[in-house]
Amino acid sequence: MIGWFDVPRSWLDSAGEIGRFATHVIGLVFSGRVLRFFGESLRQAGILVLGSALIVWAFVFILGLQCGLIGAYFSRSIGAPSNAGLFSAYCDLREGLPYAFGYILSAKVGTGIVAELGAMRISDEIDALEVMGIQPITFLAATRLLGAWIAIPFLYLVGIGLGYFASYLAVVEQVGDVSSGGYLLIFWTFQDFVDVIFSLTKSMVMATTIVLVGCYFGYTASGGPVGVGTATARSMAVNIVLVNIIGMLGTLVFYGSHPRAPIGG
Amino acid sequence: MAAQVLGRALLPAKSFLEQVGEMMILTARTVAAAVRPPFPYGEELVGQFLFVLKLSWFPMTVSTFALCFGAPGLQAAGVLDLFGALDRLGGFFVVTAVRFIGPIVTAAVVAGVAGTAITADLGARKIREELDALQVLGVDPIKNLVVPRFIALMVITGLLDVFAIVFGLTAGMAATLLYDAPLGGFFATLFTNALTTDVWGSVLMCSLFGAIIAIVCCYKGMTASGGPAGVGRAVNQAVVIIFMANFAFLYTFTAVLLATNPELQTIR
Repeated sequence: MIGWFDVPRSWLDSAGEIGRFATHVIGLVFSGRVLRFFGESLRQAGILVLGSALIVWAFVFILGLQCGLIGAYFSRSIGAPSNAGLFSAYCDLREGLPYAFGYILSAKVGTGIVAELGAMRISDEIDALEVMGIQPITFLAATRLLGAWIAIPFLYLVGIGLGYFASYLAVVEQVGDVSSGGYLLIFWTFQDFVDVIFSLTKSMVMATTIVLVGCYFGYTASGGPVGVGTATARSMAVNIVLVNIIGMLGTLVFYGSHPRAPIGG
Repeated sequence: MAAQVLGRALLPAKSFLEQVGEMMILTARTVAAAVRPPFPYGEELVGQFLFVLKLSWFPMTVSTFALCFGAPGLQAAGVLDLFGALDRLGGFFVVTAVRFIGPIVTAAVVAGVAGTAITADLGARKIREELDALQVLGVDPIKNLVVPRFIALMVITGLLDVFAIVFGLTAGMAATLLYDAPLGGFFATLFTNALTTDVWGSVLMCSLFGAIIAIVCCYKGMTASGGPAGVGRAVNQAVVIIFMANFAFLYTFTAVLLATNPELQTIR
């Protein structure tokens, strides 16, 4: 059986190793050595889009519906139903979408990478790559990171659009306290391009962390098929907490000292 | 020819519907096995309860505090501070932290930390053929493995939700203090706006999340197959299904709860 403090202790244990692995992989990408396998990076980006895009967008769409619903009822309960756009603008763009994106990415992409790389590790394919003279960490981890950096901004920007559409459906069509024009006026007033950049930064940091943690746990899996399952479970646990912490730090850095709201002078 | 092409195009949808149906059957059999005597699963139930609690308490605490400090805490406090109405943050936390973030973060963490561990555990037993051996011995895997996990997860997600709300409100207090405002206003609007309906709705929703997590994780673990990547892929599919199902359920439940309880929308 496990003890009460085993989870925090094991995270402290592996934090340093994950950090070293992550800096190594990022270094491989920025030094350009990954460009030797640029075709593989493009293939990984393609796999990401074809395999995960629909699920990510569906999840983001549901979160948009939820934000709109909560916003509509909240603004009704403070007696200002026409201001539902304020809540859904903040809930969608600034907070909700990065979190939803991080959650579904760690579930779909992060654990998928662990299962794939872990299976390669325990069937000795990674050692075989090394024997063939191909650096496995570049070929497997760095190409996945570059592929994620290529594909994820576009996935996320489309996701923002879907989330907006879902919030509109929930506020205007489902609850219906506010007219379409009244909702959109408030909604677009309370966001600008810089907010999109901040939101994109948050989600890109989350995606980078998720891919790197996934690569680490897959690359170091051991102990047969059972070990792959355990490593997948552990990577999910680490990712879900890191996503929340990155979201909090992002809000603290971007909006902590200045709320960036068009109110007052 | 056309029928073949159509059949191949609809294959993912067909396998999805089949899996949903099998999960429904597993749910019905689990509930039936849980209420029909004998009850041999007491020890396993306590063991699973402690297992989930030991795995989840730390990630749950950190995640709830982080999410509630960032999203409803700092973001809303910044806007409310512009209006000079920072004391309204308490009322805002009822809407977000109690009704929404508490259950969803508890479900996400329990699914991501404990649910994945359960799938990996059951998947390991499946591919080592221990589950078949149990059946040969005349031990029902549903009654002895699925039922205790189902009950333990349903109870523990409901209980953890209470702690998630407590830590979420702690994060709200931290955000209020960061803006140098007294805590009195926070608690005043919090207790004026919070109703019993909010709390039971939150806890009930979270227990049902726990039921979804248990069924999906046990189903995916007990049907794991396919070589070295089998268990890993089972865990991957389980978390994706749980997240989609939980959020879809969250939306339905919130819509029904808010529309059928008009006292949640009155101005206080």
